[in-house]
Amino acid sequence: MIPNIAVLEIENPHYHMPRLWLPLFLLWIPLALVLILISPLLLIALLALAMLTGVSPWRIVALFWNVLSSLSGTHVHVTANGNKVLVRIL
Amino acid sequence: MNENRRQILEMLAAGKITADEAERLLAALEPDSTASAGDFTGNTAGSHGGRGAGVKTHAKYLRVLVEADEKMTGMKGPTTVNVRVPMQLLRAGVRLASLIPVQAQEQLDEALNRHGVPLTVSQIKPENLEELIDHLEDLTVDVDGKDGNATKVRVFCE
Repeated sequence: MIPNIAVLEIENPHYHMPRLWLPLFLLWIPLALVLILISPLLLIALLALAMLTGVSPWRIVALFWNVLSSLSGTHVHVTANGNKVLVRIL
Repeated sequence: MNENRRQILEMLAAGKITADEAERLLAALEPDSTASAGDFTGNTAGSHGGRGAGVKTHAKYLRVLVEADEKMTGMKGPTTVNVRVPMQLLRAGVRLASLIPVQAQEQLDEALNRHGVPLTVSQIKPENLEELIDHLEDLTVDVDGKDGNATKVRVFCE
């Protein structure tokens, strides 16, 4: 399943951003429209990549879709030098 | 990890046996194994690594935890890293490596070898991908700093 929500929190000694819950599912619809608009360019890029790598264009699309749909559950939390970054993809 | 494997790794960590001896003992525990038992063991002092007893745990995440103190990093305050990567993402990422052109793969292999990482990206094929991920699921690396160095690194699957 493609990620639906991202959680982002950034903090440093001088500034504390409140934890943001980003509803990614709201982005998918406008993003789909953008993808349709730039689809000719994407198609050219896809064909070029397919020729370069010898992999079928459908397989390339499937590979990228796999990466996108596997992002759910990713969690990165780094604290260093008084700064804190938290990224969670749900 | 079964008891025999743990004992071998503890003997290796204590310096009672060499890495070659440990590899032979681990291989003897799994006579049907074709891969080297030392494939995923670290060379860092104080680390433990190895594959499990063949029981498929189907771990969902790869976790990397790092805790370092100020002395180690030179930064103010402790440094911590807590990363959880879905195994599914690892699978997808390795599959994505098939998109790297052959020439670039060769250059990548050379660069990795030059930096002491004996990994051949071009040899990672979809057919041995599952085996690679299965081995990764059994990976556990614990590194504790010594001589007053409070750095801790844990890599494991859950």
